[in-house]
Amino acid sequence: MDFIENIGRTVLDTFRATRDVMALLFETLYWLVMGPFKKKFSKREGIFTQMAYAGVDSVIIAFFVSFFTGVVIAMQSAYQLQRFGANIYVAPMVAISIARELGPVLTSLVVAGRVGAAITAELGTMKVSEQIEALDTMALNPIRFLVVPRFLALLIMLPCLVMFSDLMGIMGGFLVGVFNLRLNPYRYITFSFQFMVWKDVWTGLVKSAVFAMIITMVGCYMGLKTKGGAEGVGKSTTASVVTSFILIILFDSILTCVFYFFNT
Amino acid sequence: MEKEVVIKASNVKKKFGDRAILNGISLEIYRGETFVIMGGSGCGKSTFLRHVIGALKPDSGSIHLLGKDISKLNEDDLDKVKKRIGMCFQSSALFDSMTVGENVALALKEHTKLDKSVIDIVVKMKLEMVGLRGFEDLMPSQLSGGMRKRVGLARAIAMDPEIVFYDEPTAGLDPIVAGVIDKLIIDLSKKLAITSVVVTHDMKSVFSIADRVAMLYEGKVLEVGTPAEIKASKNAMVQQFVNGSPDGPIRFFQQKDDYIEQLLK
Amino acid sequence: MAVKTEQKNGLAVCHVEGEIDINTAPDIKKAFDKLIGKKEPRVVINLAKVTYVDSSGLATLVEILKNMRSYGGKMKLSNMSPKIKSLFEITKLEKLFDIAVSEEDAISKFV
Repeated sequence: MDFIENIGRTVLDTFRATRDVMALLFETLYWLVMGPFKKKFSKREGIFTQMAYAGVDSVIIAFFVSFFTGVVIAMQSAYQLQRFGANIYVAPMVAISIARELGPVLTSLVVAGRVGAAITAELGTMKVSEQIEALDTMALNPIRFLVVPRFLALLIMLPCLVMFSDLMGIMGGFLVGVFNLRLNPYRYITFSFQFMVWKDVWTGLVKSAVFAMIITMVGCYMGLKTKGGAEGVGKSTTASVVTSFILIILFDSILTCVFYFFNT
Repeated sequence: MEKEVVIKASNVKKKFGDRAILNGISLEIYRGETFVIMGGSGCGKSTFLRHVIGALKPDSGSIHLLGKDISKLNEDDLDKVKKRIGMCFQSSALFDSMTVGENVALALKEHTKLDKSVIDIVVKMKLEMVGLRGFEDLMPSQLSGGMRKRVGLARAIAMDPEIVFYDEPTAGLDPIVAGVIDKLIIDLSKKLAITSVVVTHDMKSVFSIADRVAMLYEGKVLEVGTPAEIKASKNAMVQQFVNGSPDGPIRFFQQKDDYIEQLLK
Repeated sequence: MAVKTEQKNGLAVCHVEGEIDINTAPDIKKAFDKLIGKKEPRVVINLAKVTYVDSSGLATLVEILKNMRSYGGKMKLSNMSPKIKSLFEITKLEKLFDIAVSEEDAISKFV
């Protein structure tokens, strides 16, 4: 019976958490849209700081991951394609799998680990040290003041980051193609872009925008519901990263299905 | 002269789960006085404070703060009331990512159209009042506990509030710094005619700052009166608390007879 | 809140009316920014009809004084109510400002 009880409890908890995260998302969107009308702008400087932290500071690690992913994909696909003498198909293979799938997903996972964790840790610390309550008694809505700038910053920066990561990944593949597989550089490039269509890029960017929302919403939700001192902050941070990872993979599958079946 | 009531709680009740924290608290606090709410840990005094500032809503009963029933206000109107009060937190609750000056300036920057240069002057004036002028550019992490409390106080009075709430202002401070904080509370309420509501269990500070005292026990008001009245109280529980004696009607140990049985279980 | 300015004996006399608080202080500042823009050398601020000043109001007066001093201008306050006078004392600002009992007193001190 314990087993069934546990399943029931987990399902209920998940359901409750989902509802709360959706409520947080709606409130964030409310302040995002209504804030300017109520003359309560989110601080521009706040958004820029967040953009710098979430975007610019993530560049190196995101590039590192994407570049070597490009290298690895090029080698792995060359291993197969060489047997058919179809080496040149390495080019579109790398470009398309990076743009559609690996660029957005891997970059988002990196950002979830870096920025999502930092958001939870910061908001969690603020929660346990009464700072969130202090904001509230100063008539400053914590969602408008803390969540909206982070939400907006990552929503803008993650797609940008993904775009540059895509280019880095393609470059990684290019280097393998040119130096290892001895392909003509010019042909490699033209072949890549001949097969890649606009849709490959925008589906990747749509994905990354969804992932950005997941990372900030999960990060802020876990941070704001933190309880129990420093230990609680640690627990929330771990939970935030794990949940973000799971949701990113889950939504990636859902979105891929959608794009696959509604092939316009 | 008729005393103006600024806070009026009527029969406030609150439960967390099955545990009743507030069992019907009724209190009136007048303009300009320093009102101390005292009681042991877990008697509900901090929870009551959270209700008065609008952070928690009562299950039943009502709270009027500056003439408004705060459990019935919408968010915008509640914000208007909140701008007229200030709160000093037990842990100071300074914003770690901002300097001392930015902490004090935040509410002014967000809620008023004052120029930055004017706000800077207000910040200097408020920090001077708590004796910390020249500390504007330090980060909260560079300050000692007592200094953080004082910055928290400067932040609480930044908007010239009508009421300032203090949650355990002297907890965790050495006696001298605690004395300094007590003196600041008296100074601010007398000089600026601010109503102060202090939640504490520090008996020394209760008798040095209070105009009136309320003693809470198990979510109920045991007694309200001036410090002298409280000292002379006939209520055994109040006496026990004032004198800090472990023996009396308030039990701190669970006196159960099954101790031996539990050991052998 | 209102600010009326008149010229008397070659100096500017400003009559401030109402409250100088968080809400009105920005407008007061704007009114005086005009005088400061003209580099008015001598200004008397008559506070007779001021009912209430809060710390933002005080800070605004300090800012006006600071801006006037930057071009060598001089400023005096007059006709303070006892309540407001004591506020200046609590905040230790009475040493910073020239405080005169009456408008005439302030004007005569300038001449």
